[in-house]
Amino acid sequence: MSDGRGKKYTYYPGCSSQGSGKHLDESLRAIAPELGVELETLDDWNCCGASVGHVGGGTLPNLALTGRNLANAQKQGPQDVLTACAACYLNTHAGNEKIKKDVAMRGRVNEALSAGDLSYDEDLQVRHACEVIVNDVGIDKVKDRVTNPLTGLKVAGYVGCQTVRPFANTDGGGNYDTYDDPEFLDDFTEACGAEAVDFDVKTACCGGAVSVISPEKTLHLIKEILDAAKEADADVIATPCPLCQTNVEMYQDAINKEFGTDFAIPVVFYSQLMAVAFGMDAKDDAALGRNTIRSEKLEKMAK
Amino acid sequence: MEERKPGVYLCRGCGIDEAVSVDDLEQVAGTELKVPTCRQHDCLCSDEGVETIARDIAEGTVNQAIIGACSGRVMTDRFQFNGTSVIRANLREQVAWSQPAGDENTQMLAADNLRMGIAQAAKTVTPEASAEGETSSTILVCGGGITGLSAAREAVRAGHAVVLVERSDTLGGWAAQWSKRMPFRPPYRDPQDNDVAALIAEVSGNASVTVMPDTVVTRTEGSPGRFSVTLSQGGAEKIETVGAIVVATGWRPYDASRLGHLGYGTSPDVVTGVELEGMLGAGPVQRKSDGKAAKTVAFIQCAGSRDPDHLPYCSSICCAVSIKQALQIVEADPEASAFIIFDELRTPGTAEEFYRQAQEAGVIFMKGKVKGVDADLKVVYDDELLGDDIPLEGLDMVVLATGMVPNSTNPEAAAAESGADQLVDDIDPEAPIAIAGYKGGNGDGAAAEDAAQTPGDGGEDGNGDGDAEPALPGGPILNLQYRQGPHIPILADGFADSHYICFPYETRRTGIYTCGPVRRPMDMAESAEDAAGAVLKAIQALRNAGMGASVHPRVGDLSLPKIGLDICTKCRRCTVECPFGAIDEDENDYPILNPSRCRRCGTCMGACPVRTINFDNYNVQMVSDMIGAVEVPDEFSEKPRILILACENDAYPALDMAGINRHQYSPFVRVVPVRCLGSVTMLWISTALEKGFDGIMLMGCKSGDDYQCHFIKGSGIAKERMEKVGETLKSLMLEEERVAVEEISIADSGHVPNVINSFADRIVEIGFNPFKGF
Amino acid sequence: MAQSAPDTARKYDLGFARWVYENVEGGDKLSMCMQCGVCSGSCPIGTEMDHGPRKLFMMIRAGMKEAVLTSNTLWNCTKCYRCVVRCPRGVPVTYILGGLGTKAVEMGYVKTEDTVRFSKAFWWSAKTFGRTDERLVTSRYHFSGGFGEGVKKSLANLKIALGMFKAGRLHLGAPHKVKGTKNLQAILAKAQEIEERAGETER
Repeated sequence: MSDGRGKKYTYYPGCSSQGSGKHLDESLRAIAPELGVELETLDDWNCCGASVGHVGGGTLPNLALTGRNLANAQKQGPQDVLTACAACYLNTHAGNEKIKKDVAMRGRVNEALSAGDLSYDEDLQVRHACEVIVNDVGIDKVKDRVTNPLTGLKVAGYVGCQTVRPFANTDGGGNYDTYDDPEFLDDFTEACGAEAVDFDVKTACCGGAVSVISPEKTLHLIKEILDAAKEADADVIATPCPLCQTNVEMYQDAINKEFGTDFAIPVVFYSQLMAVAFGMDAKDDAALGRNTIRSEKLEKMAK
Repeated sequence: MEERKPGVYLCRGCGIDEAVSVDDLEQVAGTELKVPTCRQHDCLCSDEGVETIARDIAEGTVNQAIIGACSGRVMTDRFQFNGTSVIRANLREQVAWSQPAGDENTQMLAADNLRMGIAQAAKTVTPEASAEGETSSTILVCGGGITGLSAAREAVRAGHAVVLVERSDTLGGWAAQWSKRMPFRPPYRDPQDNDVAALIAEVSGNASVTVMPDTVVTRTEGSPGRFSVTLSQGGAEKIETVGAIVVATGWRPYDASRLGHLGYGTSPDVVTGVELEGMLGAGPVQRKSDGKAAKTVAFIQCAGSRDPDHLPYCSSICCAVSIKQALQIVEADPEASAFIIFDELRTPGTAEEFYRQAQEAGVIFMKGKVKGVDADLKVVYDDELLGDDIPLEGLDMVVLATGMVPNSTNPEAAAAESGADQLVDDIDPEAPIAIAGYKGGNGDGAAAEDAAQTPGDGGEDGNGDGDAEPALPGGPILNLQYRQGPHIPILADGFADSHYICFPYETRRTGIYTCGPVRRPMDMAESAEDAAGAVLKAIQALRNAGMGASVHPRVGDLSLPKIGLDICTKCRRCTVECPFGAIDEDENDYPILNPSRCRRCGTCMGACPVRTINFDNYNVQMVSDMIGAVEVPDEFSEKPRILILACENDAYPALDMAGINRHQYSPFVRVVPVRCLGSVTMLWISTALEKGFDGIMLMGCKSGDDYQCHFIKGSGIAKERMEKVGETLKSLMLEEERVAVEEISIADSGHVPNVINSFADRIVEIGFNPFKGF
Repeated sequence: MAQSAPDTARKYDLGFARWVYENVEGGDKLSMCMQCGVCSGSCPIGTEMDHGPRKLFMMIRAGMKEAVLTSNTLWNCTKCYRCVVRCPRGVPVTYILGGLGTKAVEMGYVKTEDTVRFSKAFWWSAKTFGRTDERLVTSRYHFSGGFGEGVKKSLANLKIALGMFKAGRLHLGAPHKVKGTKNLQAILAKAQEIEERAGETER
């Protein structure tokens, strides 16, 4: 299967792939061919605007960022655009839907793009990696590929917000799960042979960009997530979102200081779990070395 | 009457045979009570079972069938033998299905139910229709607005001639003035064209409708089937005979001059919704003060409504009316904005769609109470959601959404004193007075009368301070020549009294039906539907009157109260207490029944102190004998006996349903169905106590302003009577708690076993009736 | 709950609600709000907000323009979109808060909010390099509140930064860039121009 002849997608890695979320990018690129997913990187991709672009740049310039990516994607072919980052997905998907539905808006975006000799006039689909795994690949295929089941690993599946909200339960979003109690992440965990523990804060908010800007306002939110994982006796927290991964991981020291706790719970991506379960390389494929809180248990299971 | 030949037929099906010994029951009928014909069948309602009974009747050995099987509420069509009287002893729902099988107490209960049935048969006579002569099929419709016009149209469609009386000189009422009407067809989103002109043309062009503008009703005599109505058209009187009457006199807007606190009168640009309607019809809305376009308009909801100082009730349509007007304003002028300040926005049914439409159109809704409107149109409201006073400045116009006042009286005529020419002062002051038109209020009849007879006292605000509901101003609409007065009785706030759940159109005057906003506030579409409903009831009333049969709820009943004048003391309780004003008094002060006004509830029978009012198939002696037929064991048996007099409309079906749901309850109760608690006479209570019953419970419908009594006042009257029974019990050295009144609704099947069991427990605590065995 | 804005800040403008309906992203759906409060009840950090979305929307109707555009509710949204998916009337709450924030910045109501300073730093990176350089955005943000503030915030994050660096997730050295930075900047400049042009006709 790793011959690269799977279904092709234009892959938009996003800015975090070159920084805090490198391990999502690396592990996803590793497992994708194993699942019959061919990722062709979007040429000269730019920032999506994230949660704050409209404030700094204004509404239309912010949308023009998405417009430029879509215009470049269009050049690469009609295949779906895939991204694994929650914020990239939210902005690019929402922007794409807006441009497609609103003729006047498409006109304004294209007027801006013309300044860079670009235009976007196709009807591309922008999709989340998890939705593609659920709808295009199928959980059974994940299960079939597992050669190194993560037996005994207790995983708290923390989905976060923007991976499922506000699109997971819409036609455009692939109708792949619910907003408040999504199941796909636990399904991934179980497919990898690990145990998905009961975790009722799976779509609680980590504070998002506010945690980056003013963590003092949101540490208690992250603490709730950690409390629940501890309560469930989880070995690791798994997440699909790069900002969630970073926030929940990097603020544990600050939380311990603030609340007198002693959290040191590893936070990993589902794709890292899959890479280990697929028997792939711990460092190069699963990128386990990128986690600042390491999971000894998971690393021992890795080949 | 020919010789009674009773036959007892016992069913073994539906679990009866498993629960009790049917052979032993046959012994009770045949050996103990000497009923000559007694039969059993495995399934009495089967063709074969029914045939068994029919054969005995055909052969002439039986002329009264006592059927010991299921409840008398079911299988009525199977057990029907062409005029032969059928008595039902309930062995299924209230025995086999609600008591443990094979128990001694279960057997005793079944035997007593059978004994009561046999006793009932001995005192019942099949009633025959009383021929009353010619009846009219013409319907009088009072009021020529959308409701009256719709009523006329529906009546004509059903094949009836109509006399349509309108007080003013034109048809159409308020509806004729509206620029647009509220949406009444899907998708219920936009104001629709006012089509009332077409309705006027249709009705006035119909040969079966006699339209009489400029006309009022000056006298109404008679009863359903034969009302004699005097109509005064511009002073010229004429008398018409009609079969039934539909009252569609509509409404008038609440007097805005009382709303100075909301700015009315301080600025010409503070207008009512009705006034705005006229402006909307005339093109772009302009300010009265300077003719400038009204671009920014605020609507104040509940202006003088749901306010104890004004109309205490919700008129239900004002929210949708303001939504309609706001939509018309913003749709006519894209620059215009409309604000609707509401306390609670009420958009029932499809009006919710209309509300959404207005929101989508940008009409701004604000929740809070308006504190004041000044001459500069500055509106200050206390925003409930912001918790603060918010000023609205720069408004061009303020619209007050005022409520609807029912035209249950003629405000242009002086109020007549209720039945003043007939009222006499020898009525028992303790008896509840059903004064025409207005609720009696806590038994303080005299106060209610005083209030009712003071024209204009309290005005139209319907504000019930004190016990009594003040009268509306104005004279009676129909000027009824009834013993109980000229008005159609009112429950509260000027709206006609009716059984709101089951018989919404009925009034307490049989054959007279209200519809439209005189009945309750409603919009045009609802009024048109309401009219159709009232017309159907009117048709039923005049047809049944022609057959000598009752209307709801005892539809088709031919029995009538027979008043034995030989021992009548002219106490007038029957004339005063009849919920429907069916009994008048003759020139010698004797009661005289108007048969087609009667609803056969028996409240007169329960009222009569000398027990001289009886029905052929329901009478004082019959129920006394049924009570007497129960075997009461002595106190050493430790088996108390409790009599339940259960209203056949709700309580008895609730007991049946308890059985259907297999809820068990005390086996010591003996249930006698009654037509209404109002028919319960004190004799039955004393008979039961003398017989040795340990407790008596009256189970009937809820009374009070939100009553559910199917005869409107019966359960309330019974409650009042029972409050006085305590004295009697005390004089007999008996505990007051032995007699209880419980309100049971038809939905109480789950609850009724608890009511019974706790009463039984209480009786056991009190101890056995000391009269037992005497 | 933080305190409501003082009375002195109140200005009542009856036309404000209509302006929001017509000019703020998602505002056309705001008129459907029925004030049920599901949005505020669903908000993870509603406690940090002076008003919360439900009340803010009512303030818009009441015409409290300044109080709305200076409200910290706009800046404490974590963009979890819980209110968006739960709103029974389909009001895109998160988008509207964002849209109001954008307008508040444009119109000069807000300058010193942390989020605004962060957003400016973020946009600088997006515009300059076409990509977000987390290190540069963060330090630019930290120092945007003054040098002393910057040192304090940077020190507080030093341990985190070290950890990230060790794991190879903190990019040092020349920032990542799109190939066509000129191309991107031309597009963004044009977009800005179109937006300003539209703004002119609005007024």
